Amino acid sequence: MITAHGLHKRYGDKIAVDDLTFDVRPGVVTGFLGPNGAGKSTTMRLMLDLDHGGGETRFDGKRFRDIHDPMREIGAVLEARSFHPTRTARNHLRMLAAANRIPSSRVDEVFEIVGLTEVKNKKPKGFSLGMAQRLGLAQALLGDPAVLILDEPANGLDPHGIHWLRDVLKALAAQGRTVFVSSHLLAEMALMADELVVIGRGKMIDNGSVASFVGRFTQATVLVRSPAAESFADALRGEGATVESLPDGALMVSGAGASAIGELAHRAGVVLHELAPQSASLEQAFMSATGASEEFVAQEFAGADDTAPGAERPDTAAPGGAA
Amino acid sequence: MTDALRFEWVRIRTLRSTYWLIGLALALSAAVALIFGLATRSDPLTVVTIGRALTAGGDFGVPFPAIFMAIIGIFATGHEYRHNTIQPTLTAIPQRSSLLAAKVIVVVATAVLVAVVSMLLCWVVFMITRGESVPLGDAPLPEALGGYVVYTVLWAVLGLALAQLFRGVPSAIVVIFVFPFIVETVIVGLSFVPALDWLQPALKFLPFSAGSRLFAFEDFPTGEGQPNFDFLDRWVSGSVFALFVGVILAVGWVLFQKRDA
Repeated sequence: MITAHGLHKRYGDKIAVDDLTFDVRPGVVTGFLGPNGAGKSTTMRLMLDLDHGGGETRFDGKRFRDIHDPMREIGAVLEARSFHPTRTARNHLRMLAAANRIPSSRVDEVFEIVGLTEVKNKKPKGFSLGMAQRLGLAQALLGDPAVLILDEPANGLDPHGIHWLRDVLKALAAQGRTVFVSSHLLAEMALMADELVVIGRGKMIDNGSVASFVGRFTQATVLVRSPAAESFADALRGEGATVESLPDGALMVSGAGASAIGELAHRAGVVLHELAPQSASLEQAFMSATGASEEFVAQEFAGADDTAPGAERPDTAAPGGAA
Repeated sequence: MTDALRFEWVRIRTLRSTYWLIGLALALSAAVALIFGLATRSDPLTVVTIGRALTAGGDFGVPFPAIFMAIIGIFATGHEYRHNTIQPTLTAIPQRSSLLAAKVIVVVATAVLVAVVSMLLCWVVFMITRGESVPLGDAPLPEALGGYVVYTVLWAVLGLALAQLFRGVPSAIVVIFVFPFIVETVIVGLSFVPALDWLQPALKFLPFSAGSRLFAFEDFPTGEGQPNFDFLDRWVSGSVFALFVGVILAVGWVLFQKRDA
């Protein structure tokens, strides 16, 4: 169980993390979602005492800096490529294991778990981003911790790798561990997470289950096609539903379920050609929740419908982190 | 603390540069001792000759072990930032003072070992070239050779401190080599300009020049026609250098505690 209370961080005038309070429960995968530059990495760094700021994070009641041999309780990976390029993968993990009295037999175990056994004696400078992510996960699992904190672990993984990661994280959560995973990619989160912490511009937007987030930020709608669309629209409005007429003559109805609309049509003797409930997606919810809080909004492309992706993640280039 | 020491011990041993830097320090020292020994084979044995051989011509410039141990010190802290390993390191050892103390201890131990081994190596090489045993008991050799170890250690700690202060390798390397070889040399040069001879009494406080008095084999020439350098005594001079290193380490240490990792 992680309890974060009043996390706060500012760089000069810019507030990066604005009073975030949330809990991360064991037994489920909690997704930490937000657009690029929303403050996800900074929040995780605050939680792990890497950055100094306001607020407090407790892991089962203990602050990170007071935990003895922290890798045995918390496995954290914030950046994929955090290893010396010519120290072999195995030596890299042996070094970290030595810091927390983890036997070196465990090092070989975690290589098995993440599927890097064949390259464990290789220098990681030649690793692909996907392999680096696996090495990161191996590092997090080294102390067999009850809590995992992973920043964008799916970045650079191929579809097969993402599928594998999802299974691993779900299995770890099912063992009763606390799993806190950040991402700016919705498709990933939709498949991986049970619970969500959603932030935008450092502020809390939502904290709860994926279903409740989708319900809160989208309205359930029903697509209706009928030869008598116009008169039926009035009848629907009379029942208190909100009706939007689409250019192709179809109606988008919210505030009434498909069954209620069907019954109304039957009573009114209206012929329906289509009656289709539209399932709202996490993506729609995310867009409506964070639309105003994109850190770097690119100018809309002429003719393009989708919001352009944000700029390079600014929160990885930590201010003040001079080389 | 023992956890941090265990970590540092594995860290320094699993880095290839540790081995080639130590190897270079020893090989270059032995090579200079060999050349010097052969060239002075027929000269009488004085404490200056013996000292020069054992420190591999250290008093001509900066001794090899000091240079290479400084780089080992720079890598001890600088690599953490250069390769982003500071995050996994601090999530394994969140006690920053323990981590930095462990780094200092391991780097100091390495520097002591390398300084002592390089002198032994040079001693053996020197004796082979002369074909006779070379005594080390005459004053000021015991003190100077002890000072040589202290000097090497101070360079190593300085490298570590600078790389921690700048949080990176390149800037630390630039400072540690530009300062003694360029800045101090220029100041010493300027002090020979008659109008600037008032600089001379201040030269004894130039940290690197003062530090090199730690392994001096003879008093600085004084008297008529000599510049008035007025160098301090061996250990007081050494303290000037040690104080300089200590201040940089202290600033780096405090900032390490205060700054974001």
